Amino acid sequence: MSHAPIAPNWPARIAIALAALLALVTAIALAVTIGEMKIPLSTAFQALGNGVFNLGYPVSAIQQGVIFDYRLSRALLAALCGGTLALSGAILQALLRNPLAEPYILGISAGASTGAVAVMILGFGGTVLTLSGGAFLGAIAALAVVALLATGAGGSSDRVILAGVAGSQLFNAATATIVTTLANAEQARGVMFWLLGNFGGVRWPDVWVATPVALICFGICMLHAKVLDAFAFGADAAASLGVAVARVKIVLFATTAVMTATMVSIVGTVGFVGLVIPHAARFLVGPAHARLLPTCLVIGAIFMILADILSRILVPQQILPIGVVTALFGAPAFALILYRARRAT
Amino acid sequence: MTLAAHDIRWSAARKMIVDGVTLRAEPGRILGLIGPNGSGKSSLLRLLCRLRKVESGVVTLDDRDLATMARRDLARRLAFVEQQASTEVQLSVCDVVKLGRTPHRGALASWTDADEAAVEAALERVDMSERHDQLWHTLSGGERQRVHIARALAQEPRELILDEPTNHLDIQHQLSILALLRRLGVTCILALHDLNLASLFCDEIAVMHEGRVVASGTPSEVLTEDLISRVFGVAVSIRAGASGRRHIEYLIDPSDEGIAR
Amino acid sequence: MTRSARGLRQSMCAVALALPFLAGGVVSAKAEATRYPLTIENCGHQVTFDKAPKRVVAIGQTQTEILYALGLGDRLVGTAVWFSPVAKRFEAANAGVKRLADNDPSFEAVVAQEPDLVTAMFEWHVGPNGIVGKRDQFAKLKVPAYVSPSDCVGKDNSGAGDGVRTQMFTMELVYRNIREFGQIFDVADKADTLIAELKAREAKAVAAVAGNGAKDIPVTVWFSSKDVKGDAFLAGKNGVPAYILAKLGARNIITTNEEWPLVGWESVAAANPAVIVVVKMDRRRFPADDIDLKLNFLKTDAVASKLDAVRNNRIVVMDVGATRAGLDTVDGIEALAKGIESFGLAK
Repeated sequence: MSHAPIAPNWPARIAIALAALLALVTAIALAVTIGEMKIPLSTAFQALGNGVFNLGYPVSAIQQGVIFDYRLSRALLAALCGGTLALSGAILQALLRNPLAEPYILGISAGASTGAVAVMILGFGGTVLTLSGGAFLGAIAALAVVALLATGAGGSSDRVILAGVAGSQLFNAATATIVTTLANAEQARGVMFWLLGNFGGVRWPDVWVATPVALICFGICMLHAKVLDAFAFGADAAASLGVAVARVKIVLFATTAVMTATMVSIVGTVGFVGLVIPHAARFLVGPAHARLLPTCLVIGAIFMILADILSRILVPQQILPIGVVTALFGAPAFALILYRARRAT
Repeated sequence: MTLAAHDIRWSAARKMIVDGVTLRAEPGRILGLIGPNGSGKSSLLRLLCRLRKVESGVVTLDDRDLATMARRDLARRLAFVEQQASTEVQLSVCDVVKLGRTPHRGALASWTDADEAAVEAALERVDMSERHDQLWHTLSGGERQRVHIARALAQEPRELILDEPTNHLDIQHQLSILALLRRLGVTCILALHDLNLASLFCDEIAVMHEGRVVASGTPSEVLTEDLISRVFGVAVSIRAGASGRRHIEYLIDPSDEGIAR
Repeated sequence: MTRSARGLRQSMCAVALALPFLAGGVVSAKAEATRYPLTIENCGHQVTFDKAPKRVVAIGQTQTEILYALGLGDRLVGTAVWFSPVAKRFEAANAGVKRLADNDPSFEAVVAQEPDLVTAMFEWHVGPNGIVGKRDQFAKLKVPAYVSPSDCVGKDNSGAGDGVRTQMFTMELVYRNIREFGQIFDVADKADTLIAELKAREAKAVAAVAGNGAKDIPVTVWFSSKDVKGDAFLAGKNGVPAYILAKLGARNIITTNEEWPLVGWESVAAANPAVIVVVKMDRRRFPADDIDLKLNFLKTDAVASKLDAVRNNRIVVMDVGATRAGLDTVDGIEALAKGIESFGLAK
């Protein structure tokens, strides 16, 4: 980011934006054409044409459904999910000044799971909105607990991570308690299934819920891009640069909670994306949030789409939980970040 | 007329840290705060730039109550340099200085020529122009402090508040930072540890002891053997130094072994 | 029967030989009385009984119900791991028996009954990673522990899920379970009678769909899903439901080893089953535990509703008991046979 041109270089910016868009569209196209059911490329595109523009190509109902209702909606939601989780990670890392901060590690995901499970098992119905409501309340509760723990422990950025770990454990235990005490014994028994994300149940209504949430939250984050830069030297430094620290923190924490809660309520928790993608994005475009945030959105989206494709095809006839795939790539990256962080200090 | 505190108080954990301080900075002059550790210097500085809220009393900027000003307006007027602000973000020198433009830019404003000019000028004033692209992490302590001052200057402030800017620096860098501040011609309020440096570089000195200002005035008025012995608990001998400023010599009790020789 | 039970040194071979004559439910073989001390091989361990147990804790509904069926209800001092209400015919026997827990009982709750036999339906309750207790924990207290052969013979329980069967389940494992109870409690005659009845019912169901119509038709068994619209837990290739399908000559569309693999509906669509078996249960852990939600999904989902099985309404509702290795397994065979017959798939 050094020696940035004084006047914005619009043609270059537009070219980069187009390239990112093209990569995203390619990833979605891959997701739509790859799958257990072998469907010829031409049929796949005809089905897309039918679904989007009602073109009336002769495609069998099952193939039409698989392409349009299963794969396309799923790919779009994977993109939204990956993008918003990466965005949340970037925001939390900036606000808390800790390279390990992300919704999963800070227990926000765990809290959202607890909320969703409570709503589901305590029986307030199974519609997306009530589930989201539970997930949202859970996410906020987790954030509050973690903030409380962290403040009580001194508030340094290391303490925030410790508090997050403690909060995650607490909420995971709460989820396990609800599931084991309120449901009777049976096979297919893993309580942990609640905690592993999965795009299998995604349909168009979920996409219609997630899209405005993602876009609005992204907009809010972008409005705060410069302000986030000012947090580089801490909250006091930001305040002395004219940032209304308390207000910004509340707005942005709430925004990450909304994004995380929405995604958890639709797909469950997916770890590591929020952690790894911001670091990868920083490596590519530097630390300035005006560039970092959109980059996170796009890379997170592409990463999640590819991870979802892998989760569908890695084991024939069987779905690997998406969290397993992202962790497969996330865990080594996590190690690399730790190593680099050690060298940097 | 510039920054002034009127009988301000602030406490933490039920302990009064700043206890009824009144003081005034003179335009274009350097006001030094001295006092032992825990006397409330850092807290007072943070109250003066509204990083903490006063519990009673009022801080005024040009006779306006600081608490009523928008934080952004304040940041365009008054800049703060922390004791040792560090970051894990991979920033270059100019990235850090650019942060100083934050209060001058709207949420969606793009980088303007005026912004660029302010950054370049700030780097020039702290003599760090050639380090423009160097990574912040690779700088020495003295260089980092210069960059912080450049960042503060990029805010184009009329008042600069610095919390022990020479802490942890070797003597050459301590002298060069303070000389730099003198050259700037900006109103400065800074906390200092070293009594001789305070004597050499400050126009005014306020001495803090247990949350109160126990003396203030020019160095020659304030730095007396009696006051230093009372506030810092050390015996000194004060005489005119080579620069015409007062020089403070610490007197060691001969019975204290080892040090005297 | 695809495979006979292995390692049955103290077997009652006479019963097996007498099989073809048992269709009417008449028992002709006279079993030997058990001689104590009795040592049997159970899930790779030697378990010794000095006398017939009088205080039994059964961890697992199938074990409890087999004991009731053998008339041993008075020996039970505690039950646990209930999936559904006890079968009607055992209600009276069950009324007097203490239920330690609906779900997993604690080790202390079990040993507090001072049992002289702990029998478990699943190795994950009592076994190497037993969450109730490990075998040596019970051994230290001189309490013999028995685990149903249906959960350890040809099954690897070392992983985290419901286990992986390396060989297909067969009812022979349940018969072995019953037969071994016959030995342990010295009620071999009753055991033989029970086995004969069950075998006769199996044979009758198979006969009903015998003919080429049912042969190789693709079928899947849907247990539940985390999310109704999401990936489904379908019966793996070697589990109890797979045995039911194989017994009737149908073909399971799922070919993975796991007991209940998580399968995407796209995979189901790719296989396009002719019959879908939907499991009915009382559990409400996942939304799709509810049979109505499952049936509704099949009718309304963009893809599922277009499957042959759904369009032709070839859906069989099977009680969850049939998916477990126990007496109810045979109910499942009968239910599916009836379904295949009524859909006109059998000749």
